[in-house]
Amino acid sequence: MKNLFRTVATSAILAATLSAGAALAETKLKLVEVITSPARTETLTALVAEYEANNPDVDVEIVSLPWGEAFEKLSTMVAGGEIPDVVEMPDSWLALYAGNDLLLDLEDSIASWEHGGTLAQKTLDMGRLAGGKAYTLPYGFYLRAMFYNKKLLAEAGVANPPHTMAEFMDASAKVSALPGKSGYCLRGGGGGLNGWIMYAATMNGSNEFFTEDGKSRLNEPGSIEGIQFLMDMYQKGYAPKDSVNWGFNEIVAGFYSGTCAFLDQDPDALISVAERMDAADFAVTPMPVGPSGKAFPTIGFAGWSVFKSTEHQAEAIGLVQHLSTPASNLTWTKRVGVIPIHKGAEQDSHFATEQYKGWFDTLNGDEYTPTIMPIYLKNFGVFKELAISSSQEALLGSRTAEDLANEWADFLTKEYQDWKNTQ
Amino acid sequence: MPSKVNFTIAGALRYFAIALYVLFALFPIYWLVKIAVTPDRLIYTEGTNIWPSAFTLDNFRSVLFLTDFLVYFKNSLIVSFGTAFFTTIIATAAGYAFSRFHFRGKVVVISVMLITQMFPLLMIIAPIYKIMAGLHLLDSLVGLIIVYTAFNVPFATFLMQSFFDGIPKDLEEAAMIDGCTRFQALRRVIFPLTLPGLAATLGFIFTAAWSELLFALMLINSNENMTFPVGLKTFVSKFAVDWGQMMAAGTLALIPSCLFFILIQRFLVQGLTAGAVKG
Amino acid sequence: MTLALSPSPGKSREKSLKKLKWLLEPYLYLSPAIILITLVMLVPLVVGISYAFQSISLLNPFQTGWVGLANFEKLFSDRLFWKALTNTAWWTIGSLVFQFFLGLGLALLLNKPFAGRGLVQGLVFLPWAVPAFLSGLNWAWLFNPIIGPIPHWLAAIGLMDEPTNIMADPNVAMWGPIIANVWFGIPFFAITLLAALQSIPKDLYEAAAIDGASAWQSFAKITIPFLAPTIAITVMLRTIWIANFADLIYIMTGGGPANSTHIISSYIFTTAFRRLDFGYASAIAIALLVLLLAYALLIMQMRKHLVKGI
Repeated sequence: MKNLFRTVATSAILAATLSAGAALAETKLKLVEVITSPARTETLTALVAEYEANNPDVDVEIVSLPWGEAFEKLSTMVAGGEIPDVVEMPDSWLALYAGNDLLLDLEDSIASWEHGGTLAQKTLDMGRLAGGKAYTLPYGFYLRAMFYNKKLLAEAGVANPPHTMAEFMDASAKVSALPGKSGYCLRGGGGGLNGWIMYAATMNGSNEFFTEDGKSRLNEPGSIEGIQFLMDMYQKGYAPKDSVNWGFNEIVAGFYSGTCAFLDQDPDALISVAERMDAADFAVTPMPVGPSGKAFPTIGFAGWSVFKSTEHQAEAIGLVQHLSTPASNLTWTKRVGVIPIHKGAEQDSHFATEQYKGWFDTLNGDEYTPTIMPIYLKNFGVFKELAISSSQEALLGSRTAEDLANEWADFLTKEYQDWKNTQ
Repeated sequence: MPSKVNFTIAGALRYFAIALYVLFALFPIYWLVKIAVTPDRLIYTEGTNIWPSAFTLDNFRSVLFLTDFLVYFKNSLIVSFGTAFFTTIIATAAGYAFSRFHFRGKVVVISVMLITQMFPLLMIIAPIYKIMAGLHLLDSLVGLIIVYTAFNVPFATFLMQSFFDGIPKDLEEAAMIDGCTRFQALRRVIFPLTLPGLAATLGFIFTAAWSELLFALMLINSNENMTFPVGLKTFVSKFAVDWGQMMAAGTLALIPSCLFFILIQRFLVQGLTAGAVKG
Repeated sequence: MTLALSPSPGKSREKSLKKLKWLLEPYLYLSPAIILITLVMLVPLVVGISYAFQSISLLNPFQTGWVGLANFEKLFSDRLFWKALTNTAWWTIGSLVFQFFLGLGLALLLNKPFAGRGLVQGLVFLPWAVPAFLSGLNWAWLFNPIIGPIPHWLAAIGLMDEPTNIMADPNVAMWGPIIANVWFGIPFFAITLLAALQSIPKDLYEAAAIDGASAWQSFAKITIPFLAPTIAITVMLRTIWIANFADLIYIMTGGGPANSTHIISSYIFTTAFRRLDFGYASAIAIALLVLLLAYALLIMQMRKHLVKGI
């Protein structure tokens, strides 16, 4: 009996030590991707596998959230205490998560990183947008440019893609004259704010959101002209009547189905469009310039962030660094459709095509100043939300451009004051 | 004979009405299937055609063999059957209690059950998530079954209650006088009479669990435990909706529901024999 | 689960045990339900309701600040809340009326056996089996003039001047989701009412026929009273569900255009997860809860009146 007891006890202790030992050897990381698609998951899995190969005792679990519900799910996970180690961080969420003190400051990790030196300046600027410290390491940029349907333009008698706003309106009018076709794939529904801001800024000749006194520039006469421009597009029939409700999927589908000829979007739309349209049928040109000869395409980003609550800081940072090396980043950005973060990316053959020309011309041209949305404002998400219904009202003719601009300007001015007070 | 003519006209009208219902129910489903068999490049250009010009089974092939849909289906089947089974048992008992007994707190219990149906689930997802995390039931089918059962019990209870209400109390009282306990009376006398109600309840709970999205999305993380509605969502990325595959998966998912209904409809329309009410 | 007791000595003891058993019996039948719901739903529900009295941060909902009734005060002056409330009424009544009567019609048709009834039943119940979001996407597709047939048919029969998407017009946009909801909900009423119809003893109809009652009289005096409990429950539950069911709306119109299809439930969602104001969202939810409770009470009262006959 005593022997039996001793045997059982010893084996139990042995088993416990072994399993504890095994647990010690294996570090588990949870990586959550939020902008999910089968292609991205595949690429991410491959990059992560490389990292695991270089770090044999780290095991990374990838959780893929469907984008439509990603915000709700991630916030529920965080609220419920199941906080991942590394997360894909879109720019619009950064202020929220960084502002709630949930993210790790990556400044030191970047400074001591061997590839930190080749990061483009924009990369660092963007990463620091919330709170002035790098709470995220961007993996690529979204930059607006104008897709155009070469076939439709030819049919409508438009010889060249539009360079100015006036040409843009004119070309749209001509295409809309074709039966069953429209000029512009207007994003009247969710996510359309960038369009309004861009055109307002372009017609106003400046991409400053606020004057020195902290007043919003969105209701200056030039900006109002820009807002009126979009309303005219819709009300004159140069955009499909349905487009008042259109979101991302609808405008891209509208473009590749040949329903509308112009689409202003980021390189990620290129992937969907290229799959469904012949490369010879479309191309990309920079956004049209305004009366001042300048255009202000919006630029955004997404990146990798580490949650402060992680129990394995070194490994989590290591994973982020691995995903962001020039080689990994090129692989990733090619599949994902964003502009890479390291200097010299446009030399790569993948990016040196007619389609990407639109974006690189934008980056390198003097007429174009990429514009960053004021995501540092605490309630910017709220603004995006209220902009949808108010802009729809304007499109449908129940309010004037001036009225809309005033409402937006008032909201933003107040937000800016609040933000300044916390600086 | 005039009555025979009337009968045929009435009969024809009935068939016509039924045909209309079937048409209305099936047309959108037909559309779903049509998109599933249309090749990708034609989906937009031939959108309004009633009949596609080219067929393809590629979407079905990809869904079945290139994605994890078979796993998702399996999980959905487990969760749906589990939920239907447990919910029906619990709800039958509770519905019987509501129907036959008056007891203190009856109003309170009913009110609480009603309130759980009235408050938007989205608001209470975070606390539920935390509870499930505490019970280590996150990312598990068991946890999902428990949550689904809890959510469906009120509805199923009220439904069963209304079916029990339709059966006169004297039936089991007569049986109990004859010497059965209430439970035996319930099993032998009442139960067969509630088969239509049970079938209806089972059918509803099964489909409710089958197509539920919110909880499955929030409580399940890993691919191996995903249910099919969440799986459908993976076809909707930020950049595109893979219509062909999504509709193919949706079509395939209709098959178990359809089969289940055809199975239970036998019980659904089991008529009462006239003799049951009499001694 | 029987509590069969052998007779014990002492009549009073036997009596009190029996009384205890009689008192406990309902609770025994109820206990699984009560335990489950309390554990899984009640606690979160209480937490959710408590949000309304606090100022909640989305990511730290368990660290809060109590603000009393401030959120409720906001409700009265919130233009969008009242608009959403009106929309909710239209949405619920529109969906319910059509679903109920069409479902009742179908149940009556299916009540008598005919060749192929089994197959027909399996087929007409399919809409209920399609997940809401898929059905929403599907109907959005059907109503889209570029890729769907319905606008073209509507134009062909003269209801529309030219094929456009009804969901781009704020005045009629709600009809899109309503039609999708009706398609989805007919099986619900059809099945439940059919099951209830099947439980009506046939001899009652025979007796009525012998007494010379017309079809309408049979319907009014036999069918309706027997159906009343089921009708009351199904209408009440379905109304509550529809009022809270924003999925179809969210997918088909996103609440737009210009908030013309926002209902309370979708407003709660955008308030909670887009404006990140859980406290106010919960206050709105409680407002809806109170309205629905009042409605439920009303239905229960009506049911008592209708059932009196049995």
